[in-house]
Amino acid sequence: MRTDDLIAQLSVSVEPVKSGAVARILLGTIALGLLGSVMVMLAAIGLRHDLGTAMASFGMWTKLVYTFAIAAFGFWLVERAGRPGAPMKRPLLLLTLPLLAIVLLSVLQMSAPHADMPGLVMGHSSHVCAPLVLMTALPTLAATFWALKRLAPTRLTMAGAGAGLFAGAAGAFVYCFHCRESAAPFIAVWYTLGIAATTALGALLGPRLLRW
Amino acid sequence: MIAQEAQYRDWMLAALMGDAGAYRMLLSGLTRHLRSYFARRLDAAAAEDAVQETLIAIHARRATYDPSLPFTAWVYGIARYKLIDEFRRIKRRATVPLEDAGDLFGHDETAEAIARRDVTKLLDKLPEAKRALVKDIKLDGGSVADAARRTGMSESAVKVSVHRAIKSLGEELKDGSGDADR
Repeated sequence: MRTDDLIAQLSVSVEPVKSGAVARILLGTIALGLLGSVMVMLAAIGLRHDLGTAMASFGMWTKLVYTFAIAAFGFWLVERAGRPGAPMKRPLLLLTLPLLAIVLLSVLQMSAPHADMPGLVMGHSSHVCAPLVLMTALPTLAATFWALKRLAPTRLTMAGAGAGLFAGAAGAFVYCFHCRESAAPFIAVWYTLGIAATTALGALLGPRLLRW
Repeated sequence: MIAQEAQYRDWMLAALMGDAGAYRMLLSGLTRHLRSYFARRLDAAAAEDAVQETLIAIHARRATYDPSLPFTAWVYGIARYKLIDEFRRIKRRATVPLEDAGDLFGHDETAEAIARRDVTKLLDKLPEAKRALVKDIKLDGGSVADAARRTGMSESAVKVSVHRAIKSLGEELKDGSGDADR
């Protein structure tokens, strides 16, 4: 086809685009993924039995706020990654805030008098935490990839990493309702490791799966 | 800021609200930049394919343009992605340095056409035999040896002849700059 004909054909009538179209695609698809992550967590590992009392504890809220903040900036990163030419610097910089906060809190807890340093870091579930976070994140990762493919990612490794970061943090958030750990050093090491693993998986898969 | 940014962005915003006329002007305008961008990096047929691929991508993914960001950067992002795609197809190593949108909007095919026309006009001032040599070796990339065989001159004579011709063109440019605008 001649290029002029193509232009004529494309511009016969242009359907108006509603503002917020990108947000709708992302939110709709990702809500589905989150639902999947919740189901996986409930079916495979279940809620912690003392959830009622735990919801009033500082440790629970440390986990929830930490993972939610990373998920929020990760979502922003995904939104940027889906738009050609959009800068990603700001969400990347903001990501350092929750990381900094959890490190600070960890140092604080470990330097308290009579602190049980190995116990604070290793807890009782360090060997399963990261893999379970990754498992819980998978449905959200798949959904985020699916949503991104409908946008226009042009830097696929970066976009995949962004999707992995978001899904990892969302998976970790969901995992909080199963996990009984509450020490900041544990969260700083093992939750972060689970999120990082999901990020790496996303970066690896991005160039293969995000082409459009 | 890229010179065309304001105009193209206006057209894009109108197109997003359903203005087909603005959209047609936008796509036609972009096509000139895209042709030049791909022609500098791909062979002719692949370049035209890439232009069309990019136009289709612009159309299909137009909802991903965020009006608070530069429009030219958005188009450049898509064009670069399509270039990498094309390289992948022809199995060349797909490394395209991430430049800015100026790389796309700094040129268009009109400017290149004018440059080509100027060179042709300038060449017309050379005597026939020299003109053929310069065109052969300097523009079309032919070898000195081939030209020597064809003309029956020695290779060094060809080199000298081309060298003199280029030098005289240089002088022509220097004192004939008013002349070229005529």
